[in-house]
Amino acid sequence: MSRQANRGTESKKMSSELFTLTYGALVTQLCKDYENDEDVNKQLDRMGYNIGVRLIEDFLARSNVGRCHDFRETADVIAKVAFKMYLGITPSITNWSPAGDEFSLILENNPLVDFVELPDNHSALIYSNLLCGVLRGALEMVQMAVEAKFVQDTLKGDGVTEIRMRFIRRIEDNLPAGEE
Amino acid sequence: MAVCIAVIAKENYPLYIRSTPTESELKFHYMVHTSLDVVDEKISAMGKALVDQRELYLGLLYPTEDYKVYGYVTNSKVKFVMVVDSSNTALRDNEIRSMFRKLHNSYTDVMCNPFYNPGDRIQSRAFDTMVTSMMIQVC
Repeated sequence: MSRQANRGTESKKMSSELFTLTYGALVTQLCKDYENDEDVNKQLDRMGYNIGVRLIEDFLARSNVGRCHDFRETADVIAKVAFKMYLGITPSITNWSPAGDEFSLILENNPLVDFVELPDNHSALIYSNLLCGVLRGALEMVQMAVEAKFVQDTLKGDGVTEIRMRFIRRIEDNLPAGEE
Repeated sequence: MAVCIAVIAKENYPLYIRSTPTESELKFHYMVHTSLDVVDEKISAMGKALVDQRELYLGLLYPTEDYKVYGYVTNSKVKFVMVVDSSNTALRDNEIRSMFRKLHNSYTDVMCNPFYNPGDRIQSRAFDTMVTSMMIQVC
């Protein structure tokens, strides 16, 4: 139970280089294992999803945030609490769609991509696609189906990294038939 | 200020070499090549002391009529060689040292790029721009 004991609300320090290099090794290994970049993107998203569905439990336990009443609140929690807790950055939220179901997370600096330069033969690779999977997986566990995708990436020469989030629907808990 | 900058692998093959007046490229390549012997000599001569002090800067390798060749070797035995115009007397030892340090930092970043395989030629754009900036600075 020692693991449980040292799990507090304060974030633990870790070497950012180790983190960045670990993620880099993961992505390059995927690039070696799969023929084309689309498959790698898909795989990263799937891995992220698997992380997300687990991480949300940890997040809810540690952050003590309550239920969000609307998507705007969710966006705030993601940017100001979740990103801060796990990546040590606070992305800004902009570009709300008029209907309030879409927004952008702007990452000024993305810790995953320190040192990284995309080679020319991987122009279709979405290097940080894992993040999209994490967001999708985590929100799915709290009854929100969302779509997350990168629309701008500093690796591709854009000034900032932008993740576009779109709310699709609430997932209703459909109880198995015959149970009340 | 520098007219030629080269990064040489541990096994003495070039990882990166750039020189600024492209027409005399061969001459600079030759110059860097010859300087490697001096680098080896310096390392073996004061190898022990060098390791103890963690001094990576090798100083002036050899001066020719028109150019000066400086060397720097990392703890992993990667060599940086820089050819500087002799007429540029304003360039002090300290500045050369700081240029090498900058080069070293930039090289470290290249090594940390997960898409770079150690031992390959360096094709990083960031490294390239850094080298370019060092070449034109005072030219």
